[in-house]
Amino acid sequence: MRNRKRTGWHRVINGVNISTFFVVIFIGAPMYWLIASSFKTPANIGVDPPQWFPNPLSTANYKSAFVQYDFGIYFRNSLIVTLIATALVLVMGTLAGYALGRLPMRGKFTMLVALLMISVFPEIALIAPLYLLLRHLGWLNSYQALIIPYTAFNLPFAIWILRNYMLGIPKEMEETGRIDGASPLRTVWSIILPQSLPGIFTAGIFCFTACWTEFLMALTFNISNNFRTIPVGVSQFGTIDVTPYATIFAAAVVATVPIGILVFIFRKFVISGLTSGAVKG
Amino acid sequence: MTTISAATQQATAAVPPVGRQDVNRKRLARMGWLFAAPALIFVAGVTIFPILYSVLMSVRNVTVSGSGFAQSGITWANYSAVIHSSVWRYALVFTIVYTIVTVAVELALGTMIALVLERLAGGRGWMMALLLIPWSMITVINAELWGYIYEATYGALQAIFGALGLGHPNVLGTSTPAIIGMMVADIWKTTPFVAIIVLAGLVMLPGDVYEAAEIDGSSGWSTFWRITVPLLRPTLALAVMFRVLQAFGLFDLPYVLTGGGPGTATTSLAVLGYKAMFQNLDFGGGAAVATSTALLVLLGCLLSLRTFRVQVGKENT
Repeated sequence: MRNRKRTGWHRVINGVNISTFFVVIFIGAPMYWLIASSFKTPANIGVDPPQWFPNPLSTANYKSAFVQYDFGIYFRNSLIVTLIATALVLVMGTLAGYALGRLPMRGKFTMLVALLMISVFPEIALIAPLYLLLRHLGWLNSYQALIIPYTAFNLPFAIWILRNYMLGIPKEMEETGRIDGASPLRTVWSIILPQSLPGIFTAGIFCFTACWTEFLMALTFNISNNFRTIPVGVSQFGTIDVTPYATIFAAAVVATVPIGILVFIFRKFVISGLTSGAVKG
Repeated sequence: MTTISAATQQATAAVPPVGRQDVNRKRLARMGWLFAAPALIFVAGVTIFPILYSVLMSVRNVTVSGSGFAQSGITWANYSAVIHSSVWRYALVFTIVYTIVTVAVELALGTMIALVLERLAGGRGWMMALLLIPWSMITVINAELWGYIYEATYGALQAIFGALGLGHPNVLGTSTPAIIGMMVADIWKTTPFVAIIVLAGLVMLPGDVYEAAEIDGSSGWSTFWRITVPLLRPTLALAVMFRVLQAFGLFDLPYVLTGGGPGTATTSLAVLGYKAMFQNLDFGGGAAVATSTALLVLLGCLLSLRTFRVQVGKENT
């Protein structure tokens, strides 16, 4: 209602459109620069004045990312670590979110506040003891060296999102299940889970992004080239004197593909969330 | 059941279990702990125990030898060295100033963008996708992208400045421009996300309040300050708190973009702690830096405990 009324004013329509244009430029220009530069030839990446449009277009950087620098290995490692950690977070987080959101536990209030606090704790505070622990276990340079801390670090926020989402499910639904004598796990599986899919998806996106972009722990725990993830691998491209920007940007474009797909789907959830809110208002 | 507040919950629990309802509640509560146990144990094992170990390490003499680490005694030397080091004091001030400036700018810009997008008639979905991309970008890549833009001899920024007759700045070569340049990179990446959170909050606001304000002849500006901002406060408070506490752990951006330089101009607490531990192998000192950072974050958490409580308790009251 409110929106329709506002957009009726001509002056506002213009103001809104011009402002939107500036927002698009503000966000889009650096993104354009990254993509365009990834298609420049290695010789043209360092010319002054810069080539505003790559000419000729070249895919040499994409090739060198995979052939000259082991981007394929980093991509595989990132995918393995991120997918396993996200799956673990979603399984444990869904159960915990259900318990903390819908079951009459004492002390769950304190538990939630503690979880929220842990979710903002700086990684740097944990890096040394975790390093020593992993070293003691002989787990440095392995997938579990990242999967375990990533799971632990992302669980609190996932529980938080899922718990909030599950609070909104009408409680008559699970009571029907209980009266029918379904086991608790079955109730979660066949009644709560289908209702919470958008919440699970949101939590999954947050977890995936956090694992995919994490740098400090990956840099510290996995030094061997075979276990490096994308952020660490990319940060090591080139030599001390030369940063091969075009190759880095080509790798960046490829690295954005999985997340781009997820974000593209996620976009619809954001809108549906926003519009359902508008209906409520 | 979930609508019962914590206080009433405790009151019910104090009453001896007589009716069937209470037996049922106990069973459900036990089930709840069973469901939550894997997650809670996992989180506690990987975060809380290492935090305690880190605190312990910060008050011991840690020596590194070829075969491993040795700890001995209890000492305040690590903390004393940290507090008396001008590098740590600079990193502390830098991190605090950086956090305040970036979060303030991100909040102001993010709110402005959200207000614009709320009025946008079509294409909101595409704008949403555009806003989500910088947020999902790997920070290391964001740092490299801005490193290329700021490059002193062939970067885009010096070319634009040169074309406008403003000279050819070497952004990352001098302290103040390097700090500002890093803030810009951070603001570019994070503002869109703040905008999404604020937009979600805006859309949830009740429309009738605005209609009433319109009838009362309230102007756009005063409607914003007297209705929108107060109603948005819980959303804004949560966004600010998360951003402040996150910004305090600042590491990826300075480590890749500037290496903490020029000199130590952009050395944050996390970069300082990392370099102490893994480049100088001073684990005791590094742990002291890390622990002092953690204590500051904990202090921030306790100061914003009310915001946390409001968030948790919102549906419980």
